[in-house]
Amino acid sequence: MDVKQFLYSYIAKEEYYEDQEHIIDEGRRGDWLYVVLEGQVKVKKMTPKGVLTLDTLQKGEIFGEVSLWLAGKGVRTASVVAEGPAKVGILDTDQLLKDYESISPRLKSLMKSLIMRFADTTKKAAILSVET
Amino acid sequence: MNTTKDDHSSLPQLRYKKGDLIIKEGDYGLSIYKVIQGKVQIFTESDSVEIPLATLTAGEVIGEMILLDRDISQRAASVRALEDSILEVWHPSMLSNEYKEMPSMLKYIADQALNRLVRMNKVIAKLTRKQQQNAMLKRKDPWSPQRRFYRKQVDLPFVAEGIDSNQKDRFTGSIKDISLSGAGLEIGSKKLAFPLQLDEIIVINTTLPNKKEISVTAQIISINQGKSPGTLLLGVSFTELSPRASKDLGFFLLPA
Repeated sequence: MDVKQFLYSYIAKEEYYEDQEHIIDEGRRGDWLYVVLEGQVKVKKMTPKGVLTLDTLQKGEIFGEVSLWLAGKGVRTASVVAEGPAKVGILDTDQLLKDYESISPRLKSLMKSLIMRFADTTKKAAILSVET
Repeated sequence: MNTTKDDHSSLPQLRYKKGDLIIKEGDYGLSIYKVIQGKVQIFTESDSVEIPLATLTAGEVIGEMILLDRDISQRAASVRALEDSILEVWHPSMLSNEYKEMPSMLKYIADQALNRLVRMNKVIAKLTRKQQQNAMLKRKDPWSPQRRFYRKQVDLPFVAEGIDSNQKDRFTGSIKDISLSGAGLEIGSKKLAFPLQLDEIIVINTTLPNKKEISVTAQIISINQGKSPGTLLLGVSFTELSPRASKDLGFFLLPA
């Protein structure tokens, strides 16, 4: 997947990570949103059975949206780790929240619901992996 | 299901009773629903096995895929009411203008979240199937839950000998505890005409209190001083248990 042109206007900062370096740590506070610009990253979650890899994100994919939109939480629900050298863009949160304020209440609830479901489903997948 | 009008909005609201099917997987439909009251479950079916994907409560939205530029009109999952519920119905045309004006970045983020949601749903479906298969295997093998945990205290005379069945190395004693994976044996150390060694393989013959005679092959995994002087405690792990012996022992070990 290519990185869409409009994404670049939101990128506040670019960061480089070495193989296996943590971009986001589960449980830590933070509400930055990221986009993968080069390489790939893995989404990992701690479980009683150890660290579980849930997903692999490629160039152009976004991560970090859960802690930005699930109001008041601001706590990372999973870790994101570079798989090989990776370059990520940190998105301008102020601009994103301004965009979000501009949309209709219906679209807001649609978006929030989608992100909430994504977060719940991720948690559920982790619980199931431990039980299975 | 009843259609009513809410005082605060002109949008139709649907009432469902607990257990009602709201959306059926594979059906054609464009409506988007918002849960106003109650609780609904999203689930999918795979090989006629139901896989619960998510539970939604007030404020959450179902059917958003229609809007997010997905070229689908068939429902990707079913939804049913877990409690008596009220849902508000949105037709996508109502949202299309709002959606057109939505900043591309937000559309993109929503689209990405949906992609990842679909991937996680697949993970859940796969794990649920695996879990159900495991549960079925366990049902077929009734001893497996006891195997690891259940160890019964007994006092059973036994006769054992080396695996090569040399009469000279025969010894007797008493089984003090037994499970489907191993046993604790007490023997008189003075009676031994030969030294026992760790890792040695022996064949143990005994008669269970239910009169079943069993013969098992086991490996000595520990040798300790027994409680009374002049005795040794051998810890053994079963290496070979015939299906019949496993069944007889299993019956004996069943909790009373």
